[in-house]
Amino acid sequence: MTSRDDAVGLEGVTFRYPGSDAGVLDIDLTIRRGELMVCIGPSGCGKTTLLRLIAGFLKPDRGVIRLNGEDVSTLPTRARECGIVFQAYALFPHMRVWENVAYALRVRGQPVEERHRRAHAMLELVGLAELEDRLPAQLSGGQQQRVALARALVFNPRALLLDEPLSALDAATRVAMRDEVRRIQREQNIASLLITHDQDEALSLADRIAVMKAGRIVQVGSPGEIYDHPADAFVAGFVGRANVLDGTVVNHDTIGTLVGPLLTRSHGHPAGSAVRLLVRPERIELASLEGGENVLPAKVLRDRFYGAVRRIDVAAGDGRLEIETAKREPVHAVHIPRDAVQFLS
Amino acid sequence: MLLRCITAAYLVYLMVPIALLMVGSVGQLWLNTLLPTGFTTQWYRDVAQDPSFRRAFNASLIVATITCIACATIGLAAAYAIFRAGSARVRAIARVLYLLPIALPPLVLAFGFILVFSSDTLPWLGSIWLLAAGHVVLALPYFLQAVVADMQRLGLRVLEDAADSLGSTGWQRFVHIVLPALRHSILAGLIIVAALSIGEFQFSNLVAGFLNRTYPIVLLQAFYGATGFACAATVILLALAMLASIGGALVAGGATRIKVAGA
Repeated sequence: MTSRDDAVGLEGVTFRYPGSDAGVLDIDLTIRRGELMVCIGPSGCGKTTLLRLIAGFLKPDRGVIRLNGEDVSTLPTRARECGIVFQAYALFPHMRVWENVAYALRVRGQPVEERHRRAHAMLELVGLAELEDRLPAQLSGGQQQRVALARALVFNPRALLLDEPLSALDAATRVAMRDEVRRIQREQNIASLLITHDQDEALSLADRIAVMKAGRIVQVGSPGEIYDHPADAFVAGFVGRANVLDGTVVNHDTIGTLVGPLLTRSHGHPAGSAVRLLVRPERIELASLEGGENVLPAKVLRDRFYGAVRRIDVAAGDGRLEIETAKREPVHAVHIPRDAVQFLS
Repeated sequence: MLLRCITAAYLVYLMVPIALLMVGSVGQLWLNTLLPTGFTTQWYRDVAQDPSFRRAFNASLIVATITCIACATIGLAAAYAIFRAGSARVRAIARVLYLLPIALPPLVLAFGFILVFSSDTLPWLGSIWLLAAGHVVLALPYFLQAVVADMQRLGLRVLEDAADSLGSTGWQRFVHIVLPALRHSILAGLIIVAALSIGEFQFSNLVAGFLNRTYPIVLLQAFYGATGFACAATVILLALAMLASIGGALVAGGATRIKVAGA
C-alpha cells in the first residue's frame, strides 16, 4: 500500500497497448520524497511504459497513480506537474537555452523578468549559466542534457522522471553526468524515477532499484540488496554478472552440479530436490591443483583483460564458470568458497 | 575535374536560354542573327500597357496568394494529422494519397473540374476561386512533403511531449513549439507552392475564365507576335515567380517572428 507521504505511488497499475501483449501488469511502486528510484530491465520490459503512465502520456487500464497523495490517474499530463528528461533531450530548437528552461514559467503566465531570473538560477545549479543565450544546437550532448534537467526542475515539479537520460551520451560524459544528475537530484530533494537498461548506472545512482521483466516488477530493493540477494536467476543475471548453476541436493551441505559437487552452508532443502545456485564471478578465487574444499580443475576457454580485472571463462567438470580476478597468473583450478554459494528461489 | 565540367556544362545549358530571353527582351530587332541588334525598352512598355497582360499579372498574384494561404492552412492541419496518426499503416496510406496529385497530369484534374463545375448545381467554372482551388490540389503535395519530413526530422512528437509535461495547453504547444520549430520547412514549402501556382499552365489554361486568365496563358499569345515582346513578357513571368517566392518567404518569416515575439 502507498502512504500519504509518498511523492509517487502506484497501486495495481495495469496497462496494455491495444492489440498487443505489451504493457505493464499490476505494478505497485512507491517513491519517497528525495528518493531516486532506478527502474531497470531489458528492452520491451515495460519500464518506459511505466514512466509514460506516471507522466500521463498513457492512462492506466486499471489501478491508481498518486502524486503527493493526490489521485492523478485521470489527469492530463500538463496538470500532473512532473518534470521529464527525455533520452533525446527534446530541447526546443528555436529557443535559446534560458527560454527553454523558462518555458514552464512562460505557460504559467509569469512575467519575463521573473522567468529569466529563475531560469538563470536553475542554469547556475547545473553549471551552464554562462551559456544561457546559446541555441541548443550550439551545445554538446552533455550540456544539452543538463539544460533538459534544468528545464524539468525549474517549476518545482512533484516528481522528476528521467527516461534513459544518459544513453545518448558518449561513455566518458555518461559517467560524469551520473554524478551530476545525482548531485542535482539530491540538492532539489525531489522524488525521482530514472529508467535505464545500464546496470552500472542503476547500481551507482539508485537509492532503490526496481527490476522489471515482461511488464512486471520482479524485485525492489537497495542496490546492495538487489546485488547480494537477487530474487531469482533473472535478477541475478541482469544486475551484475552471475554464474547460475542448476543442481540436485545431495545432503544438508552438498549440491551436485554440472561443474562438480559443491559444498555450501547447511541448508534446509530435502535430499534429491532440484535447486538453483548463484555464484558471483568475483567471489571465485584462483587455486592451485593440490585440491581442497570446492577446488575444481579448470580449463581456460576465454581470457579477457580489462586492465583492473580479467574476466575468464573456464570449463570445469561438465559445466562452465565465469570468473573475475585481479590476479595475473595462469589459471589451472578455481576455488569457490562455501559462503559464495547462494540459493536462488 | 570531369564532375566539374559536367556541372559547368549543365549550368551553361540552364542559364543560356534565360540569358538569351533577357537579351532578346531589350533588343530592337532579332531576325536571323545570333543576337538581336539595337537596344530598346519598348517591349517592356508594350507589355506593361497591354490590358490583358496587366489583368493576367494581377490574376496570377491573386491566385498565388490564395493558393499559398490555403496550402498553409490545409497543409499544416493535414501534415499534423498525418504525423500524429497512431498506426504506421495509416501514415503510409495517407502518404500515397497526398502524393497522388504529383503523379496525375493536371489535365486529368482540369477535366474533372470542368465536368463537375460546369453543371447547373455547381456553376463555378471560370471563377478565380475555382482556379485557386485547383492550384491547391496541385501544389499541396509539395508543401506536405516538406513539412511532414521536417516534423519527423525534428522529432516534433517528443518536443510536444516535453512542452505538454511543462504545463502547456494544446494551443500553446502549436503556437510556441510547432509553428516556430517548423518555420523553415513551412517557408520552403510556400516558396514551392507560389512558384508552382505562378507557372502553372496546363490546368489553368482549361479552367480559367476569360476575365481571370493567369499570366502564363496570356503569355502563350505573345509568341505569335514580335520576338522582343515575347521575350519581355517571359522575363516578367520569371520575375513574377521570383517575386511570389520571395513574398511567400517574407509572409512565412513574418508570421513566425510574430509568434516568437508574442512570447
